[in-house]
Amino acid sequence: MLPPDSSIEGVLEQPGGTCSILYTLDPIESITKRITDPRFGAIATFIGTTRNSFQGKVVTKLEYQAYTKLALKTISRIVDDARTQTPDFQAIVQHRIGVVPVGEPSIVIAVSAPHRKEAFQTCEFILEEVKRKAQIWKREYYEGEDESEAEWKSNV
Amino acid sequence: MSSSPSEHITILYFAAASTTLGITSETIPIPPQAHPFYLSQLKDLLVERHTQLKGQSVGQTLRRILDTSQWSIDAEMVDDGDDEEKLGRIEVRNGMEVGVICPVSGG
Repeated sequence: MLPPDSSIEGVLEQPGGTCSILYTLDPIESITKRITDPRFGAIATFIGTTRNSFQGKVVTKLEYQAYTKLALKTISRIVDDARTQTPDFQAIVQHRIGVVPVGEPSIVIAVSAPHRKEAFQTCEFILEEVKRKAQIWKREYYEGEDESEAEWKSNV
Repeated sequence: MSSSPSEHITILYFAAASTTLGITSETIPIPPQAHPFYLSQLKDLLVERHTQLKGQSVGQTLRRILDTSQWSIDAEMVDDGDDEEKLGRIEVRNGMEVGVICPVSGG
């Protein structure tokens, strides 16, 4: 089955925060370079990678789809929410769509902030909220099972 | 006052909803006899429609999915989607893009 027409690449840029949904993530070095800021002394990054097993079953691949225009709005608003705790930071959030082979990154969050505590906390806050709210879905395919039976997962 | 003959909405299906139905979107007419048409009525409409098109089993699976999903309208979430009373006050109008938002699994 083809993915939804609304599951497309997209970027939403705001001052201090860029959110993207992409088939391929940018290299981490280029991401951290973009948020490097002489005012800030810390950069925290999170990379989520796809695992090869789930409850004893071997995962052969994962597939992500998004309601991109809404997911980008949601992620941007999460970045805005983070500013109520830490007003000064820069963030880049990238989420992948399409087939993601096992062991590859599916999400990158990079945050630069004045100090390490703010950088870690903001990065974690964005991650937890994205997992809770962003209109993105993951499908896991298991070895030995028909592809049509592959489950769509839920973070709940 | 009845609706004009060509009032339609677009439904977007993702994840389990799209896999169950075998489609990722459809444009359906707002029932002309149900005007105004409210979001609280949409679940039954879609289940009935797909039961007729694809059978009981698909219809029942769709109902189970819709029971645990939220709605979006024109790329904005409908908050308090569990509140039937609230859904009963949200009118679904010609040209709206309604999303079936199953439990998410990003990150």
